[in-house]
Amino acid sequence: MRRFQKLLPFLTLIVLFIALWIASPYFLTQTNLSSLVRQTAVINIMALGMTIIIISGGIDLSVGSILAMGGLVGTMAMEKGLPIWIGIAIGLGVGFLCGLLNGVLITQLRIAPFIVTLGTLGIFRGSTLLISGGLPVHNIPAAFSYLGGGNLLGVPFVLWILIACALAVHFILEHTRLGRYAFAIGSNPAAAVYAGIPVAFHTVSVYAIGGLLTGLAGMIEASRLMTGQPTAGSGYELQAIAAVVIGGGSLHGGEGSVVGTLIGAFIMGLLANGSDLLGISNYVQQVIIGAVIILAVAVDELRKRRA
Amino acid sequence: MLLALESVRKRFGGVTALSDGNLSVEAGQVHLLMGENGAGKSTLMKIVAGMIPRDEGRMLWRGQEVFPRSPSDASALGIAMVHQESLLCPHLTVAENIFLGREPVIVSRRQMVEHAARLIREYGFPLAAEDRVDRLSPAGKQMVEICRAVHNGSSLLIFDEPTSSLSLDETEAVFRIVRDLRERGMGVIYITHRLDELRAIGDRVTVLRDGATVHTSPLSDVTTGQIISLMVGRPVSAIYSREALTPGKPLLQVEKLNSAKVHDISFTLHAGEIVGMAGLIGAGRTELCEALFGVDPLRSGSIRVDGRPVSIRSPQDAVRAGIALVSEDRQRTGLALRLPIGANIAMANVPAISPGGVLNLRKQTSNAVHFIDKLRVRASSPRQLAGRLSGGNQQKVVIAKWLFRGARIFLFDEPTRGIDIGAKIEVFEIMHELARSGAAILMISSEMSELLQVADRILVMRAGRVAGELPGRTTQEEIMHLAALEKTA
Repeated sequence: MRRFQKLLPFLTLIVLFIALWIASPYFLTQTNLSSLVRQTAVINIMALGMTIIIISGGIDLSVGSILAMGGLVGTMAMEKGLPIWIGIAIGLGVGFLCGLLNGVLITQLRIAPFIVTLGTLGIFRGSTLLISGGLPVHNIPAAFSYLGGGNLLGVPFVLWILIACALAVHFILEHTRLGRYAFAIGSNPAAAVYAGIPVAFHTVSVYAIGGLLTGLAGMIEASRLMTGQPTAGSGYELQAIAAVVIGGGSLHGGEGSVVGTLIGAFIMGLLANGSDLLGISNYVQQVIIGAVIILAVAVDELRKRRA
Repeated sequence: MLLALESVRKRFGGVTALSDGNLSVEAGQVHLLMGENGAGKSTLMKIVAGMIPRDEGRMLWRGQEVFPRSPSDASALGIAMVHQESLLCPHLTVAENIFLGREPVIVSRRQMVEHAARLIREYGFPLAAEDRVDRLSPAGKQMVEICRAVHNGSSLLIFDEPTSSLSLDETEAVFRIVRDLRERGMGVIYITHRLDELRAIGDRVTVLRDGATVHTSPLSDVTTGQIISLMVGRPVSAIYSREALTPGKPLLQVEKLNSAKVHDISFTLHAGEIVGMAGLIGAGRTELCEALFGVDPLRSGSIRVDGRPVSIRSPQDAVRAGIALVSEDRQRTGLALRLPIGANIAMANVPAISPGGVLNLRKQTSNAVHFIDKLRVRASSPRQLAGRLSGGNQQKVVIAKWLFRGARIFLFDEPTRGIDIGAKIEVFEIMHELARSGAAILMISSEMSELLQVADRILVMRAGRVAGELPGRTTQEEIMHLAALEKTA
């Protein structure tokens, strides 16, 4: 029974998949699945970073703004004539630095992550708008569209990126000191300090990795739209957090997994995609997704209470 | 000499926590560190463990002066602390906790589990390397901390009241481990409040009072009575005795009570009576109180208060019926630590200080003054935060809260845990006063000597049931026999 409940998110995903397959003839077409993957990849990659942060007992509300800043600065670099790969590297670098700043503020000022990132949510977004003058960047080399829109071995290129990121984050969490410390810090911060763990350094690392992944997501988003949008990604932070939470992550820290987060993100992606296919309005979609978040956490709580 | 502390001083702001701390520990020796709360034991140990720096004085480690600046500094020297409140990561496994802070950059799970399992086997602990720590008992958690210390190559282990939350079996296990560590040539500093366990474990004893070391000698050179006098600074009788009162009418009648954790409980508390409740940890004593207080839902059975049947489905119902729970964990369930004393005392009876539905703060304060005076709470003012009081004074505030509410049936769950000997006697006196004024009292305690001093009769619980009742003048052996029948039979 307990095992069944643990598998519940996965089973939900399968059931949802089959139901959509039956309900809509368009669901299992390559076009639709590709677009599903492309839509979810951005949130998914952000959510992977968020997973480490949440496991360490933190939260990052600024990821939507980081995504916009990364995408915008990266595309601006390309607009200025820099090679595509440098533009992408700059986008990632901006994300990394934003995450780093969050981590430094949290550990040095000893302010709750919720507050710090609520502040930087505004700071990063405002800065992005200032840098761009509020205008999107359009003048981007055509080849850049491959990142978000290309195919490799018959599947969207972003799927490979997602797989690579997921494997990397999984490896970090389960097989490296950094991952172990993220769990330890989230599980009992005092114990982590007393075990001699450099808590500040690892906390900063966690946010920096989250920022880096968000910068990557920002470049993918820019590539998909072929614009650097200063307003991109607003509200994405909540979707990323929701993915982690649906996948069994605990906002108290110490719990969460890559597989869980992927399932969480895909459940939300399928709900959105399915609603589109079935002609369910965007308004109703929001209600459904909100309900699913509460339901998923309620089921998880029930499981833990019984265990 | 493993460790020597000489004239160590520590000041926090204007308060001197430690004025003259002296202690020397040899390898292969269990050194008891005794003193009342606030005597400076914790401060001294925190200095040794690198948690706080000393202001003055010397700390010699194997003859060399050292300045550990962090717990990891201390652990690099070979000093480790087994904490009273477990400092482990609950979501991680036993093996992961043992190696925490010492893993290589890339972690090999298999190797770690094997290594941990070997360590656990060597000490014969009942642990599994891959169990999650949040599933362990308090004793199990301490064993994990011990494994961690041993793995880190520690040669001095500090135990801070290790048995305060352990069952008798587990206490025995901890004693065995401590003796084993001593045999292996480690130095052990052992802090305890439990006078009944001194002789079972100690070689030497050092007593601290008001921040200074007042005595150090082999344990065999002093009597327990002398130790108490040294701790308190005046001659104190370790034995409290009270005159028995004639019990009045039945105040609480419990019949065939069942909850998820206790079964078929029947007993009666009379006005003017203190009934003790003994049992091993896990026998269901706290769970019974929680069921009576409406925290844990009742499945069947009846409760009568003052002869009238009452239905208790929530703490609200219990309080309305005049039942008070002075819980085991007063910091968590007894007090709002960040609120002033006055607010805490008024907590269960806010309407009484709110004429016309508006909170009258002046009334709250004058009420607090009344109870602070009556129960002799040592506080700077009624506006002092509850979290700033000592354990004994916090306990008095909890009792004041229920007095103000007009409770007549008191469930005391380990009322003397974590409070000084002096305050302990005061709490007993307050309980006696309550009984004299017609209250009925149920008192849980894991210290049998305490029950024998205070209780008029003693109920013994075992495995969720009342295993039997004994008169107040019984013996520890009788209690143990009932509490652990399966094991002695």
